[in-house]
Amino acid sequence: MRGLSYLLLLGGALAQPVSAADAQDWLGRLAEAQQQQSFHGTFVYERNGSFSTHTIWHQASGGAEVRERLLQLDGPVQEVVKVGRRTECVSGGLADQVAEGQSWPARALDTKQLSAWYDLRIIGESRVAGREAVVLAVLPRDQHRYGFELHLDRETGLPLKSLLLNEKGQLLERFQFSTIEMTPPSEADLKPGSSCQPVRFVESKAVDPKAWHSEWMPPGFNLNSAVERHSALSSQPVACLMYGDGLARFSVFLEPLNGATVEDARTQLGPTVAVSKRISTTSGDVMVTVIGEIPLGTAERVALSMRAGDMQAAQ
Amino acid sequence: MSREALQESLSALMDNEADELELRRVLSASDDAQLRSTWARYQVARAVMHKDLLVPNLDIASAVSKALADEAAPVVAPVAAVAGRWRGLGRLAVAASVTLAVLAGVRLYNQDEVMGTQLAQNNVQPTLPMPQVQGAALLAGYTESSEPVSAQQSKASTPSQLNWHEQRLPGYLRQHAQQAAMSTSDGVLPYARAASLENR
Repeated sequence: MRGLSYLLLLGGALAQPVSAADAQDWLGRLAEAQQQQSFHGTFVYERNGSFSTHTIWHQASGGAEVRERLLQLDGPVQEVVKVGRRTECVSGGLADQVAEGQSWPARALDTKQLSAWYDLRIIGESRVAGREAVVLAVLPRDQHRYGFELHLDRETGLPLKSLLLNEKGQLLERFQFSTIEMTPPSEADLKPGSSCQPVRFVESKAVDPKAWHSEWMPPGFNLNSAVERHSALSSQPVACLMYGDGLARFSVFLEPLNGATVEDARTQLGPTVAVSKRISTTSGDVMVTVIGEIPLGTAERVALSMRAGDMQAAQ
Repeated sequence: MSREALQESLSALMDNEADELELRRVLSASDDAQLRSTWARYQVARAVMHKDLLVPNLDIASAVSKALADEAAPVVAPVAAVAGRWRGLGRLAVAASVTLAVLAGVRLYNQDEVMGTQLAQNNVQPTLPMPQVQGAALLAGYTESSEPVSAQQSKASTPSQLNWHEQRLPGYLRQHAQQAAMSTSDGVLPYARAASLENR
């Protein structure tokens, strides 16, 4: 990637300290811009096997709650309307898998926490959607997460383009505005469409924290939520544990096999990897499936590290 | 022709600077075992310099040559008048199978799976067995980790296993994506990921 090679060229000690501090400032501006800057525009999202176009209307006026409406422009109607940190409505199947305990309040970007696991650097300038942009590299400090290349609007700090890159610098997904205007959307634009329905939560309950533990976690990843729900296929209880490092996320699903003989499996869907490993517990075999925007090797290791029971009890 | 001249030609070829004469010189001497081993060593050296993935002892060329030898039979046509035309077609077919063999080899080469020679030998039919080639790179499908075979083959041999995963994986993926979309303030990227799963 051009960005990464720039980085190698610029990697001299002279440029580094200034650049790192600047880069943190820019990330701070990004977080602030989401809360302060109104805009509307259209963007594309692309990953392996999928390309789609969307419109976004974003209203942020000082003290009042942020209102945001997202609408997919091609293919089936996909729509989300958010008010503050609450999802007011969604269309179609876009939220039919959300359990109540899972719809946790939105978390803000924590630049300090991020800089522990990512190296932040300004690597150049660019132009996106007709606007001047600053290119910020968010590079992982270890092999357990992917890097981002963020193009932030020079004037407002809003992200105009975001590329997710794997360890070889290959592009995993692209998010990019094609047009954007920094003006507040009208009330009519923010009004949900007819197919936008309130979120109906899937029945679920909290997971007993002693039911599962992991013998290894990639550094910086913390448990964000843990719920249990019944599989629509087998009515078996399936535990779902969600982890994040402030930027990357993965979910661990644990489903009893009930004596079924199922092989391990793995696949990659654009930025998202899925790894299934069979583990043995005292109450029968369980399939562990790790899904997330993390490298395959990390997902494999997480899957292999899951154990039934309490950490203390295991030792 | 001196061995030095031949090696120089080979070196030029490796650097993409060989003219047609040099290319012919190297190709006409490509049955020479010593030249082949030199060529292989150059490839290894270049791969190391470029930090490419490497399976050093994978001799795709031999596999292709063998495939071509097996292929020779249908080129022989009984009627002299049509022989010329058929020979052309035969050549085309051979060229197609060579391309395919090389493609299959290169793909697996990159994936670090030592199936290349086998595939190169299997895929010599003039008809294009594309599904098999695609199978290796089929990201959307759920391929078995233990056997680097095509999706079709593994589906045929183990329907119940794939079904277990195929039934659950879409739900898992959507649950993961939707949860992310609902739980972050900068929900645009997670929203787009979740939406892209619905478009399939």
